Amino acid sequence: MATMHRVVQSSVSTSDATTTTYDGLTSCKAADIVISDQFPAGLRVLVVDDDITCLKILEQMLHRCRYHVTTCPQAKVALNLLRERKGCFDVILSDVYMPDMDGYKLLEHVGLEMDLPVIMMSADGSTRAVMKGIRHGACDYLIKPIREEELKNIWQHVVRKKWNENKELEHSGSLDDTDQHKQGHDDAEYASSVNDATDTSLKPLKKRSNSKEEDDGEIDNDDPSTSKKPRVVWSVELHQQFVSAVNQLGIDKAVPKRILELMNVPGLTRENVASHLQKFRLYLKRISGVAQQGGIANPLCGPVEANVKIGSLGSFNIQALAASGQIPPQTLAALHAELLGRPAGNLVVAMDQPALLQASPQGPKCIQVDHGVAFVQHSVKSESSSSKHFSQSFAPVEDVASGFRSWPSNNIGTAGPSNSGGLSSQNGNMLIDLLQQQQQLQKPQQRSTVSELRRSINVQPSCHVVPSQSSASFRAGNSPVSVTQNGSYSRTAVIDYSLISSQSNCPSLNIGQVSDVNLQTTGVLSGYIPPASVSPSVSSCSVNADNCASQQVQTSSMTFKASRRLPGFVHSTSNIPDPYGSTKSGDLLNQEPFNNLGYINKGTCLPAKFAVDEFQSHLSSSSHGKVFSENIGTRVKQEPSMEFGDNAKVGIPMLQQFPPNDLMSVFTE
Amino acid sequence: MELVQIQRRLVDYTKSLFMEGFLDAQFLQLQQLQDDSNPDFVFEVVSLFFEDSEKLLNELTIALDQPNVDFKKLDSHVHQLKGSSSSIGAQRVKNACIAFRNYCDVQNIEGCLTCLQQVKQECYLVKNKFETLFRLEQQIMASGGSVPTIELGF
Repeated sequence: MATMHRVVQSSVSTSDATTTTYDGLTSCKAADIVISDQFPAGLRVLVVDDDITCLKILEQMLHRCRYHVTTCPQAKVALNLLRERKGCFDVILSDVYMPDMDGYKLLEHVGLEMDLPVIMMSADGSTRAVMKGIRHGACDYLIKPIREEELKNIWQHVVRKKWNENKELEHSGSLDDTDQHKQGHDDAEYASSVNDATDTSLKPLKKRSNSKEEDDGEIDNDDPSTSKKPRVVWSVELHQQFVSAVNQLGIDKAVPKRILELMNVPGLTRENVASHLQKFRLYLKRISGVAQQGGIANPLCGPVEANVKIGSLGSFNIQALAASGQIPPQTLAALHAELLGRPAGNLVVAMDQPALLQASPQGPKCIQVDHGVAFVQHSVKSESSSSKHFSQSFAPVEDVASGFRSWPSNNIGTAGPSNSGGLSSQNGNMLIDLLQQQQQLQKPQQRSTVSELRRSINVQPSCHVVPSQSSASFRAGNSPVSVTQNGSYSRTAVIDYSLISSQSNCPSLNIGQVSDVNLQTTGVLSGYIPPASVSPSVSSCSVNADNCASQQVQTSSMTFKASRRLPGFVHSTSNIPDPYGSTKSGDLLNQEPFNNLGYINKGTCLPAKFAVDEFQSHLSSSSHGKVFSENIGTRVKQEPSMEFGDNAKVGIPMLQQFPPNDLMSVFTE
Repeated sequence: MELVQIQRRLVDYTKSLFMEGFLDAQFLQLQQLQDDSNPDFVFEVVSLFFEDSEKLLNELTIALDQPNVDFKKLDSHVHQLKGSSSSIGAQRVKNACIAFRNYCDVQNIEGCLTCLQQVKQECYLVKNKFETLFRLEQQIMASGGSVPTIELGF
């Protein structure tokens, strides 16, 4: 036994050694490949705790679980480490009370930027504290003293998260599936994501999710076999057409079929439109959610510091709008359109809209808005030159945040880290849509709307922002863009839809993360893991898919994919939690500045494996147009968590849609 | 003393620590974590704890000495001490910390001072206990024997 243990350790350490090089894809890939065989051995854990005694104990315990451990006594250092080594950690264990940074804050940042599962720990096991952790998106909450057995299971959070993300992609990608099927998935996902949420309303969902999880294996198997659709690149022009079609129909009534008819683009399928629509709505939601408290992190912002200033400006525009909570989707769309129409880089744009701008101090947030802004601007112009603007405007953004960059680039179909961009662009589209609908391109109007949003939206720190009143005009069933004030893009998007404010997971990784988890800055990922899929952009499914497919690698992803059969679900904190677990009670929202409002900075690169899953899940969610519209509409008014479930479908089957990778195929079976 | 006798003494001593509440099951976890790759794990962790706790106790003393006691800060220190003591299984220290926190919550300075004394006392006591324990272990190792694993069979 000891020998075996040593062997295991050595193998783990080998992979560890590989992973620790962090030189690039290869090293990580290799590590992943090695690890996958022994999953969950080799799981890369980052432990953050100011108590060195506990740190040492945890380190040893995790080693015994055959995980690869990195310890860090300071939260700030840990955050930097995460940023530098994106994609090199699978899960984070963080203490709650730390001197240099609150554990919840770290949780938010991680959720926004890296979208990794975060497990909180504390000697404080009061219900209140645990609830707070859940709301902030923690995947799980462990009470000290921690026993080794508790740590043995932490891999489930990683798997669950990935799985749900995959489901989302999967659902979004396969519109052809029966509604029932999708609905079931949606429910399951939703339920799983809200699993840990204490909200009683979610309980019924749990049952569904449980049953769904069982079915997932089968369903997942079905999906991949059917559709391998060629990816649609949502160019600027195409997106413009889409946005105008949506505006014509009205964001509320914009169903993929009608949009498709209006667009009249040969070769475009209803599914493509549906998934794009979903992303757009998520984007709009995110935008609105971000606006609320300035603190909304911009998922697109890879480097927080750099983007801080810029992002805040840009994000404000939309965020402000969103924050007001009263901005109907149309307004958002209009705003978005206007923002996009502005020439010159996002930064400029952001600043140009003073009305919208509200101080969002936090760096990550800004990117998101910028993103949206640029996007909006672009759409508004609707001119041939707009596309140029689009690219131009985005260019600066890229500098700021790779994530941001990818957004626009995705839409435009440009290369580059576009993966993450894809999603954002989608959101931007949605925003534009909304804004256009409202035709409130004027600042004053926006300003008022923003303020309205603000009032109505309860921003939850690190959680999805949930509109304070479910009936908030903005939210109220207008558009899927319900302002979810989730820090993460994806998440918020998802959550918004579901109007889920409850946050659970995620450990954070709650729900919010499901959808746009892919938002991670593609920049980072592009080099690294195939698909940027990890990042962001679920919306840019097409783009991501390509990436994912090619890359697949990451054995770890494989592992995770394979694990989809594992019970899945949702982090203990529930899917929703992802960092953005929206709080149902919403009290958190109001109090804390929403740093990472719903925008997950997907800059962090998740291991390819995750990326693929995420991507897929996004696809599934987005393509699930029919369900989407139906669910969103109804759900929006209900519990947000429900919607989340819809979106958070783990699309394992979706994986199959991507060009099969050897590794992938192995696991997809 | 013969090896076997020392070993027995160690076992009995350890058991007594559990019985008297100095140590709890978490300490067993700690012991289980010790293996060939980490043969001094328990010793290292316990040493770390005492280093850390000394700093914390100093901070607590200083904090309580202030004209305006910052209870929030006090509470966070005690919370940390509670966390680390519970992690190594120092039960009595942990319990003293819990009592301390209660007084912090109600901002009772007198109560806090008393608790601080209590926590210090418990730390001191358990530190001595550990030292005895480690000494016995060292004796066993020096005699070529192996430290017997404690099985709690209450």
